[in-house]
Amino acid sequence: MMDFTSILSGIFEGFRVTGLVTLYGMMFAVPFALVFGVLQYFTRGTTQWIVTAIIEFWRSSPVIILLFMMYYSLPSFGVNLSGITVGAMALGLNIGGYGSQSVRAALQALDRGQVEAGKALGLTRLDVLSLIELPQAFVAMTPTFINQFIQLVKGTALVSLITLTDMTFRAKEIAQLEYNPVGIYTALLVAYFIICYPATIIGRRIENRLSTGQRGNRDF
Amino acid sequence: MTFDLEFSLSIIPTILSGLFTTLWIALAACLGSAILGFTWEALRRSNRWLGYLMRFVIDFIRSTPILVQLYFLFFVLPHYGLTLPTAVVGVLGLSLYYSGYLAEVFKAGIEGIPAGQFEAAKAVGLTRLDTVVFVILPQMLRNIAAPMGNYFVSALKATPYLAVISVPEMFGLAMEIGSDTFRYAEPIVAVGIIFLILAVSIAQLVRLLEARLMASSKR
Repeated sequence: MMDFTSILSGIFEGFRVTGLVTLYGMMFAVPFALVFGVLQYFTRGTTQWIVTAIIEFWRSSPVIILLFMMYYSLPSFGVNLSGITVGAMALGLNIGGYGSQSVRAALQALDRGQVEAGKALGLTRLDVLSLIELPQAFVAMTPTFINQFIQLVKGTALVSLITLTDMTFRAKEIAQLEYNPVGIYTALLVAYFIICYPATIIGRRIENRLSTGQRGNRDF
Repeated sequence: MTFDLEFSLSIIPTILSGLFTTLWIALAACLGSAILGFTWEALRRSNRWLGYLMRFVIDFIRSTPILVQLYFLFFVLPHYGLTLPTAVVGVLGLSLYYSGYLAEVFKAGIEGIPAGQFEAAKAVGLTRLDTVVFVILPQMLRNIAAPMGNYFVSALKATPYLAVISVPEMFGLAMEIGSDTFRYAEPIVAVGIIFLILAVSIAQLVRLLEARLMASSKR
């Protein structure tokens, strides 16, 4: 019978995959959130409708279905990707969809006078966006951003279902070796807690500091 | 293997037969998470040490994946002799997961009420319980209706997780069609579209409701 620490270290053998999917997931989530959040903020009419539709597809579909859809359907359209890439894409774009809403909300919350002042100084619209609006928006959305990062880490547990050996998959492997559901699944909860809790604490600290000034948007 | 449109249309009735299960589970989970979440927040406020403990419980719930919480309930409860129907385990799991988020919603809701309301209630001689039920809750409900609606949509989108503990909701049925016919792409795309339509329309409904509540609070 394995003791709790050896179960926990057995589970952490899956940390590499959990970490990689998180890291690659961020590479999809951050650019998607930025580009589509800004696009939704800037565009009007039909273009905005199309941008919104793309965001809604990634944001409003259940993430487990997005993952399975890509895992099972892409090959039948002739697209073959590795499990880690499929996992990172599905999870990352889903979180990116949420992120785009915080980017847009943070941009909309800024005082219009900022843009006008920037223009009056002779800056181009793009300069105003990158030098004045986005830096301020980033500050306002930091807590939301951290929350979404936590959602991404937790979401990676799903890749165990497409047979990647992440922490959850390792726990299920250990569960097949010996009957100890209480120990194994408690250890698995603890493993994710160890990773996510520091982010939760940091996020709350920043949020409390910001909320004395302006409250960040809480999309999650 | 190419995508067979005719096949994907033919399985829609089978998938939709799980719609009712999906909806009642989402509704029950919403109710359950509201009750649990309110309990956590009420306990957190009751005294100092219980406050620290509940803060930790809420953070623990929020820092672990819903999939793992579901596995935990699914495998650990029977170990202690508690064998429940999978749908009930699913509702428990979703309720537990979202209670961590709703506790925060309630926290913000309570803190959004001016202190004068508590003082006024005390001044007219209401007991603590009366104050909470008749003064604070009604005002709070209006403040938290929108975030609660959003979490209801989230719970709805989380119901497909229950397929892993073999609850016959829509996604589970779609995966079953997949394993019976060895065609996964069509059922998954079909169930994905159904969920997308459902989630977007309920989110729209929530937005309408929110607008009405906002209008009624203006005078």
